Amino acid sequence: MNGDTEHARRSACEEFLYHEAHLLDDRRVSEWFDLVTEDIDYRVPVRTTRERSAEDEFSDQSYHLKEDHESLRVRIERLENDFAWSENPPSRNRRFVSNVAVLGVDDAEIDVRCNLLVHRSHEDETSPDLLSAERRDTLRRTDDRLRLAARTVLLDHTVLPTNSLSIIL
Amino acid sequence: MSNNEATRTTDGTTPPTDEIEALIGSVGEQIENGQLPVSILHNEAVYEQERRRIFGRNWVFVGHETEIPEPGDYRQRYIGTDPFIFVRDENSEIQVLFNSCRHRGSKVCRSEKGNSSHFRCPYHGWTYTTSGDLVGVPQQRNAYQHLDTADHGLHEAPRVESYHGLVFAALDSNAPSLEASLGDATWYLDMYVKFIDMEVIGDPHRWEVETDWKTPAENFAGDNYHIPMGHKSAIDAGIGSDTATGEKQSDLYAIAEASGHSFSLYQIESEEPSFWGHPPEVVDGFHPERLSDEQYEVARKSGVTLGTIFPNLSFIHLGGTNTPEKESVGTFVLRQWQPKGPGRMEVWNWILAPENASDAYKERVYESGMGTFSASGNFEVDDIAIWNGITEAAGSVFAEQHGTTTNFTMGRFGDAAPERVPDWPGPGEVYVHGGLTDENQLTFYRSWYDAMQEEPDR
Repeated sequence: MNGDTEHARRSACEEFLYHEAHLLDDRRVSEWFDLVTEDIDYRVPVRTTRERSAEDEFSDQSYHLKEDHESLRVRIERLENDFAWSENPPSRNRRFVSNVAVLGVDDAEIDVRCNLLVHRSHEDETSPDLLSAERRDTLRRTDDRLRLAARTVLLDHTVLPTNSLSIIL
Repeated sequence: MSNNEATRTTDGTTPPTDEIEALIGSVGEQIENGQLPVSILHNEAVYEQERRRIFGRNWVFVGHETEIPEPGDYRQRYIGTDPFIFVRDENSEIQVLFNSCRHRGSKVCRSEKGNSSHFRCPYHGWTYTTSGDLVGVPQQRNAYQHLDTADHGLHEAPRVESYHGLVFAALDSNAPSLEASLGDATWYLDMYVKFIDMEVIGDPHRWEVETDWKTPAENFAGDNYHIPMGHKSAIDAGIGSDTATGEKQSDLYAIAEASGHSFSLYQIESEEPSFWGHPPEVVDGFHPERLSDEQYEVARKSGVTLGTIFPNLSFIHLGGTNTPEKESVGTFVLRQWQPKGPGRMEVWNWILAPENASDAYKERVYESGMGTFSASGNFEVDDIAIWNGITEAAGSVFAEQHGTTTNFTMGRFGDAAPERVPDWPGPGEVYVHGGLTDENQLTFYRSWYDAMQEEPDR
């Protein structure tokens, strides 16, 4: 993969990120789940307002989501249950993925950063919930395709402006 | 507050006082019949009076001592909607300081948490110690020699007390002591915070929701009737408590009227100790000598237990897991329903673990708590989706015009399902088959009604 051109590598990453966003927007969560590796590490850390001099605004102990393959499977199974009231009727979500940059690459994996804006609405609401974040992903080359091996979602919110995080970011 | 004193609302208008008092009065008239006027869950005038009569008079949870372990550690917190700094001062004393400079009122602390020796106002530079003393006034020699700095420290919450690590404050200097206000609830709280040295893990989850703060306070007071329907999806997925998933058989005891507070305790009758799902090596670190024999026996049999401390602090101590493949752990989740406007609240959610447990165990406690009760919690997300609908109905003209009520009559008027337990070892009015009574929720609304009187009842 080191032999790929920089452009081809970034295109492959973009293609992956757009494809998974499309699956999630379409509520095809099981198909999305097929795109993650068995050792997936998925995190959404809690952010706090800190002074500029503070080392980090993101907690290394507290998370809105901190998932492995098994706990993600449980969430996805629950979402497909007709009694999952937070998503039945489902929220309408549109993921806008931009500013894609390849941060590092080796034979097996690509580290990639992007911006994420989720436009989320429920029922008759006319003002959407907007969730804004940076994603830090590790994509792994497997036999047939790229898969998501790690994702950290760095939210721009300390107080979440949405009723619940019953969606994948 | 007197009738003729104008009460300003957030948009500057004066609410029609007689109508609010009539609405509050209608709660008192109907609550004993199990009817609650739903309008109180989404009404600007009621909300404004709650800020004053409930959050301005009662003991309100501020934080846990382990959130600020070192001198200088601080967290911004709110009492109702009022900004305070929860800080451990240089002498290791806990202070709850009004976050507003004595000079012009700006916030002196603008970071959510941190460690500092001082708070310096960004406006003109007045500087305070972590005890709130004013120690720096720029140009003092030229222009402020007359100022008695000793009299210009940061205002403090008039009353601050800790109950085994749970720090509460009251804005009313005449409030009874915290222990008197908790009253019979201490018998139950002791099983969590006295028996076990608890520690907060990291930072609280915070998220804003279109639900009145009273709705979840009422729910955690004892709505065990909603679990099979409201949480079916999570239970079907095999997660949550061992009692909810049917992993363990239990009897549910509803504890109403514990000095205005309420609890629900799932009790597992077995030789094998339960202790909310904590394993023996963790239980070894608990302190039986701090409990009575009766309390210890209830703790030993405890599966899930939950409750609400009036006004807006709830908890759930859950033996369970976030994935069926992983071992159950005991997770203690504290939640505060913070008022943010009529029909709006911000949820604050802390996950706690026994202090002396291993790091690996604490991590599992965190994951299990987050996976069940948090903004992404597989149980919580469905609650909130349902509660939002109440807010819409509560704000309706129809409900106002017709005095629409919601129903709290389960197990009353001759229905035999909930049985009073005469020989329960602890205080309160205790019912077995506790999922089939609304007495806990009625306790919450009685406390609300009493607290909403014009003059405090003391």
